[in-house]
Amino acid sequence: MSSPMALRTLLRTPPALRPLLLQTSRAAYHSYDHAEQPVYREAERTILSSALAHVPTHGFTQEALTLGAKDSGYLDVSTNLFRKGTFDLVKYYLVSQRMGLKDRIQFPDENIGVGRKVRGLILERLRANVDTGIVTRWQEALAIMSLADNIPASLRELGALADEMWFLAGDTSVDSSWYTKRASLSGVYAATEIFQTTDQSTEFRDTEQFLDRRLEELRTVGGTVSGGCTGESTAE
Amino acid sequence: MALRSAYSALGGPSLPLKARTTPLAFQLQSRSRNVSSRALSSTPKASQAHTAPTDPPLQSLTKEQKQFLESALRVNHAGELAATLIYTSQTPPIVKAHPHLRPLMKHMYDQEAGHFKTFNHLLAKHRIRPTAMYPVWHAAASFLGWSTGVMGREAAMACTEAVETEIGEHYNNQVRELLKWDEEAKARGETLGEDLEALMTDIRRIRDEELEHLDHAVEEDAKMAKPYEVLNGVIRAGCRGAIWVSERV
Repeated sequence: MSSPMALRTLLRTPPALRPLLLQTSRAAYHSYDHAEQPVYREAERTILSSALAHVPTHGFTQEALTLGAKDSGYLDVSTNLFRKGTFDLVKYYLVSQRMGLKDRIQFPDENIGVGRKVRGLILERLRANVDTGIVTRWQEALAIMSLADNIPASLRELGALADEMWFLAGDTSVDSSWYTKRASLSGVYAATEIFQTTDQSTEFRDTEQFLDRRLEELRTVGGTVSGGCTGESTAE
Repeated sequence: MALRSAYSALGGPSLPLKARTTPLAFQLQSRSRNVSSRALSSTPKASQAHTAPTDPPLQSLTKEQKQFLESALRVNHAGELAATLIYTSQTPPIVKAHPHLRPLMKHMYDQEAGHFKTFNHLLAKHRIRPTAMYPVWHAAASFLGWSTGVMGREAAMACTEAVETEIGEHYNNQVRELLKWDEEAKARGETLGEDLEALMTDIRRIRDEELEHLDHAVEEDAKMAKPYEVLNGVIRAGCRGAIWVSERV
């Protein structure tokens, strides 16, 4: 297991350096000169992305992983690469969709306001669930993410998604609202995504209206999504 | 998680070419999903070979360096927030008692506001989390500024002196670290990149301005403050504590 090992390395380091080890989440300085390190190795990436193609038929299961390994020419046993099994598949989906978000969306008019951009980003991210065909299986993923072991990583990923959305929307506030903005967006996104899994309407109209109601609530509560949502948050 | 760290240990420093091509490969792959992975894995390497030779290669930032930059910029941001607030709340009582200090206070405030703006911009640009103690520093700095302002000119200047001493030292350490990286990169025939060089110039300029405030404060009888030792000791300890906390949260 990794946690006793991690604890041992933590206890072996000098006390002054321990806090640095505890911040394991991500090195946050975002550099423009240097390319970002890839999150997944080549082999992991190919296996997981071909496994995702099997999710609509087989769900987020070990079987999908095995079929993905087979498709990309690896042995069945290579799925042992993924210690957390199906959760690694779920996480790969989340990470790849988060990082792909910037290429999925382009704002033709840069002056439409941060609030509207955030709304567009949420809808685009939800549309990715439909395009990849995993929306019918997403409840399984939510169940896997809600297991006690997986909750911290899932929440971190949700936070990273909210951070990415605010960044892509061009939000530049760096005061206390940095935290409230990310927290409220995470809440709205999680709620909307759960709603989406039960939505039976054409082209997910109900999800869109649900999202607009949540954003409207936020606006009335504290103006957290400020400057841009006004009057344009009704459904198209 | 463990796999990833094992990978960076293996593939990072020992295989420089691979480390430089894979991030590019990754970006290209995530961009166009439907192109076959076989074709993609060969193209970025080829294009890398074409573009690489002229400029000195960029040094890639290690995880430790990124963490250093993250906490350094966060502390600087929190520090400049506190500085602007200290001057804001010191100015009314000081200027009321000593109108001739108005231009000096305004000059120092304007410079601090400029620094604050710089770091606001840098934090947003490099996607760094601001300190979670933001409201606490807000309140503490306003109180410190107001209380020393009320205590009189000498106390206010002693406060400036103590704060700027700590801050100047703090900036000096950062410049030293960045210079060290620069030397190491040059030794390997690489460059730090425009962003970091600009950051180094910025921090040097800001440090010089902070030390200029320190000189102004000493000229204005900071050492004459009544319990000088106490004020100086308490404020400097407070600054060090705040820096320590802001580096972490």
